Amino acid sequence: MNIDYSRELPVIQGRLSLAEIENLIASPLDEKPGKKFFIALSISLSLLFIGVLSVGYLFYKGTGVWGLNQPVGWAFDITNFVFWVGIGHAGTLISAILFLLRQKWRTAIARFAEAMTIFAVMCAGIFPVIHTGRPWLAGYLLPYPNQHHLWVNFTSPLVWDVFAVSTYFTVSLVFWYIGLIPDFAVLRDRTVSKIKKIIYSIFSLGWRNSHRNWQHYEKSYMLLAGFATPLVLSVHTIVSFDFAVSIIPGWHTTIFPPYFVAGAIFSGFAMVVTVMIFVRKIFDLEKIITLNHLEKMNKVILATGMMVGYAYAMEFFIAWYSGNPFEQFVFINRALGPYAWAYWIMVSCNVISPQIFWFKKLRRSIPIMLIVVILVNVGMWFERFVITVTSLHRDFLPSSWGYFVPTIFDIGTLLGSFGLFFTLVILFTKTLPVVSISEVKAVAEGAQPSHHGGEH
Amino acid sequence: MQSNNSYTKKDLPLDLRNLGFTLLVGGIILGVIAFFLDETRAIFNYLLSFVFIVSIVVGCLFLVALEYVAGADWSTPIRRVSEFISSFIPLLVILVIPLLFSMHDLFHWTHEEAVEGDKILQGKSPYLNIEFFIIRTVLFFVIWNLFYFIIIRNSRKQDKTGDQSLTKKNIIYSAIFIPLFTITITFFSIDWMMSLEPHWFSTIFGVYFFAGSVVGALAAVTLATVLLKEKGYLHPKMVDDHYYSLGALLFAFINFWGYIAFSQYLLIWYANLPEETFWFLARWEGGWIFMSIFLIIIHFVVPYSLLLSQPAKMDPKRLKFVSIWILFAHLIDLYWLIMPQMHSEKSGYFYTILEFAFPIAAIGGLILVFFFNSKKQNLVPVGDPKLDRGLNFRL
Amino acid sequence: MNRSDKKYGVAALFNSPDDIIKAAKKVTEEGYTKYDVHTPYPVHGMDKAMRLKPSKLGFITLTFGLAGAAVALLFMFWAMSIYYPMIIGGKPFFALPAFIPVTFEVTVLLATLSTVIGMITFFFKYPDQKHPLHDTDYMKKVSVDKFGICIEVDDPLFNEEKVKELFKGLPFESIQTIFHPAEEKHTVLEPKFLGFLAAVAIVVSFGTYVALNKILYTVPFDWMMEQPRVDAQSKSEFFTDGFGMRTSVEGTIARGFIPYEFKGMNEPTVPLSNPLKPTKEVFELGKKKYLSFCSPCHGNYGDGDSRLGENFPKPPSLHSAKAREWQDGNLYHIIVNGQNVMPSYETQLTRDERWAIVHHIRALQKAKNASEQEIQLVKKESLENAK
Repeated sequence: MNIDYSRELPVIQGRLSLAEIENLIASPLDEKPGKKFFIALSISLSLLFIGVLSVGYLFYKGTGVWGLNQPVGWAFDITNFVFWVGIGHAGTLISAILFLLRQKWRTAIARFAEAMTIFAVMCAGIFPVIHTGRPWLAGYLLPYPNQHHLWVNFTSPLVWDVFAVSTYFTVSLVFWYIGLIPDFAVLRDRTVSKIKKIIYSIFSLGWRNSHRNWQHYEKSYMLLAGFATPLVLSVHTIVSFDFAVSIIPGWHTTIFPPYFVAGAIFSGFAMVVTVMIFVRKIFDLEKIITLNHLEKMNKVILATGMMVGYAYAMEFFIAWYSGNPFEQFVFINRALGPYAWAYWIMVSCNVISPQIFWFKKLRRSIPIMLIVVILVNVGMWFERFVITVTSLHRDFLPSSWGYFVPTIFDIGTLLGSFGLFFTLVILFTKTLPVVSISEVKAVAEGAQPSHHGGEH
Repeated sequence: MQSNNSYTKKDLPLDLRNLGFTLLVGGIILGVIAFFLDETRAIFNYLLSFVFIVSIVVGCLFLVALEYVAGADWSTPIRRVSEFISSFIPLLVILVIPLLFSMHDLFHWTHEEAVEGDKILQGKSPYLNIEFFIIRTVLFFVIWNLFYFIIIRNSRKQDKTGDQSLTKKNIIYSAIFIPLFTITITFFSIDWMMSLEPHWFSTIFGVYFFAGSVVGALAAVTLATVLLKEKGYLHPKMVDDHYYSLGALLFAFINFWGYIAFSQYLLIWYANLPEETFWFLARWEGGWIFMSIFLIIIHFVVPYSLLLSQPAKMDPKRLKFVSIWILFAHLIDLYWLIMPQMHSEKSGYFYTILEFAFPIAAIGGLILVFFFNSKKQNLVPVGDPKLDRGLNFRL
Repeated sequence: MNRSDKKYGVAALFNSPDDIIKAAKKVTEEGYTKYDVHTPYPVHGMDKAMRLKPSKLGFITLTFGLAGAAVALLFMFWAMSIYYPMIIGGKPFFALPAFIPVTFEVTVLLATLSTVIGMITFFFKYPDQKHPLHDTDYMKKVSVDKFGICIEVDDPLFNEEKVKELFKGLPFESIQTIFHPAEEKHTVLEPKFLGFLAAVAIVVSFGTYVALNKILYTVPFDWMMEQPRVDAQSKSEFFTDGFGMRTSVEGTIARGFIPYEFKGMNEPTVPLSNPLKPTKEVFELGKKKYLSFCSPCHGNYGDGDSRLGENFPKPPSLHSAKAREWQDGNLYHIIVNGQNVMPSYETQLTRDERWAIVHHIRALQKAKNASEQEIQLVKKESLENAK
């Protein structure tokens, strides 16, 4: 296939008119959900129910119901937390960084990815709260004036986490909502139902498509993107600090911050592609979320996959180079010890499987990309598992060496988090436009004035 | 109107050649004096300017490759600037030779008596030994030169033919080059800078040097672009939006550098393990403490504040000033990495002045290379299919 | 929405972005100021066509961002270094690198929230559901695919005919006049609404009360309060003797206590000598402890004039020749061991306190039996000191 490099690829296929774009995106909201919707929802709700049961029993009995032991005092809870926070990085990355990089193709997937960010951060937020086993005391994490005259320990990475994740959640939500305001106005002006109209009116805040507003709106979007970009980096950096400020071999290594961020983008993009493949099919959005979009996402997955591979290699090399016997032991133990199976799942899923994307044909084939992105999701979950558990299960004292085996409550909680995530995603598809209407209109062909007229 | 809106090739003024020549010769003379006065210091300074040059010229090749891989079009009209700077790469092979002959002065691990009594250094000797070190260095130069010749040749050929398949080929070569670039630049930094203190280790070191190189390369490209555009050597259709993109990238990588530097410091400071902290302690003692604080200010705080606002990112005057500033800061960054490892009896202001000898020569060399390249080649890739798109780029 | 006959403005719709740019330019050139362009998405180049000044939103962001950074840093400095300084991980009280993450997050949070809130309230004057443009045919079209421009009646140059004339000179799609909506009456203080507020208040307070005072004391929330443990002084079924509290293993020595080697003997075989120097502090300690523990029986000056009256046998005077001839070690021995009816004070007094009491007794003995010469000397010295 020969590409003409002198012309930009159209963002939308098939020269749709503005009204057609709007109809395509907004019409699913007008129809009553079909059978498939309820089947999907019942599956995800069942998963959620398993999670609720597991967590309910956890609250009743305490963290003893999990497979935690001495020395592995931190396993599925932190693994799931980091996994979900990582998933939550794609949305803001797509909406903020790609916005700053002027990547027009982001418009088609930004809204959905942002929603996934918010849901993933919600899933992530559950784990630090429940991992204490006494979640009603979670308020102690926040600095508030109290009768003990004690403030939280601001030098603790766990408190940084509280600040980072809550800030990230708030900013993502605000960013998402700001993007939704013009769309609420569109829906308000479209709908015939009275109740819907009231709801859309309230959320649109009285938006009038005024250019005097658009001007500030664009500025604010840019400022928010400018803040969200370092924020995305900071969140997973701080998550990596949870491990890396300690002195445990396998956790304390300086490459952790960029390594975690690359991993987060990697897993987040994989999750977005996974969901996108289904969404574009089910909602007939193939002309708006095109194969080109997916291909670009796959390229990012390939790039970040190699970054993650670079970090694995650097860790290994420097562990040997450091001459520190504990470091050396931890890494040899990772690859050859009792958790070698997890390590090799991680390497083959994260480093080897995305290499398929070097080939254009495979990069553009839906079944193959679905397999790869699911493997990447699995691999990235195992990455966090490997980091947490293999570093802990071999203590400095050989007498306290142990092995972690998850119980059904560990697994139930993990399934429950997937249930929560997909329930929210499924409900989202029927309540809000899954693609930003105004943004896609703005990048349609002929939507902008031609600037070959000495404009500038 | 038409003639105003298209590119016509103009030769750069001879003054530029004379300036480059003066700087080069002056720098070399000063360098020779420095060498006779204080050999150790001179060889370390030579290493400093060598690493400085490598970071900029290889960084520029990375920028070229990045444009191809990312499919960016805004940077196409100024791609030649990066290409010209990266055409220094073949000369690096000559520059490295004096360093290979003075490895004993530079690297503690080449001292056999030191390795003998040191278990850690013995453990590292499969990696840190002279033969393997030279093999690696040669390998880095082979990879850089190979991709330099392939990518740049295709780009230049396109000026005449306008063949689109050359772009496609370059995209593939660039995609292969970028992973190789990150690996080579990482091990280059470990070999030539981290192993100056062979007991110290940090997994982020390669990323730190990568961030510094991209900042340095971007600053060099920005400086050259602004100067050339002001004098009318570039395409007249280039507008503020192109400056803005350069400024924004510079701003982004300044932040990235700050982020990486902070991560490395925080983790080592927090864990407080003696096998890691001693490297920072060496940079926190005596006069070095001022250097360390100075580095944070000049490499992060000042450029960050200068580039923060949107109009600042597209103001050519501001960009010119900031990019010179950043190039200086990048040099100081490398100085801060390398020089605390130098132990010389002699000190004084006189020697400090001489420390500028090699960087001056290096800058002179860069100017000359740029000048001679521009004689034969277009300053704008006229045959590139993305050129029109790039010129019409608007925010 | 019902419309009144009060005019809001005249609006025209256009079909393409190029047309609307042209229209906006024209309207601006004519000198209109109170007009607005409505487009389904931001059209590039419109700022220039309308001659809008760059948005000042960035100043809000900058101000609140800097304020956030300052507040976070100062607060952490105050909480961690001044209000409740604690050494954590061997770091200084003002551990700047460790404060940077939180400072950064608070900066971003304040900057973004202030930007958005500032934009919506200050720049947009939202929420505004009563604007005349809402629910018009014009608004419904510009939110889909048309591009509109609306000149308000309030504009000083407004003249309906002229404005329509202006629009007709442009490639318009349609022109319409927009009227203000009919006034609607709202009474905020309706009894229904007030009743609703009261109901919400009652439900919330009741819920809070129940949650904090009842639910938190039920299973499993109270499991930290009810722990399976043996309380002090309670019975135990585990041990055969039924005591919950256990005595320490025989021969156990408490930390800091050095056992007395002549314990239980009538007299020490080798009387110990006083290890404490007779300093002011030691005398003060000795006096204090003597008055607390010894004086009830021995009297304040060691005369044996017990305050307990006839209820307890009076001890002999400490000023007897026998007592004065005893060595320090003998006095110490009696304090540790007890004598006759005097119990041991080993558990009440620490080693240093006992020796301090010995010093005090020596001082009392000296004072009671001083020679005239010594008294004169003391008087003289104290007179000199008084000067």
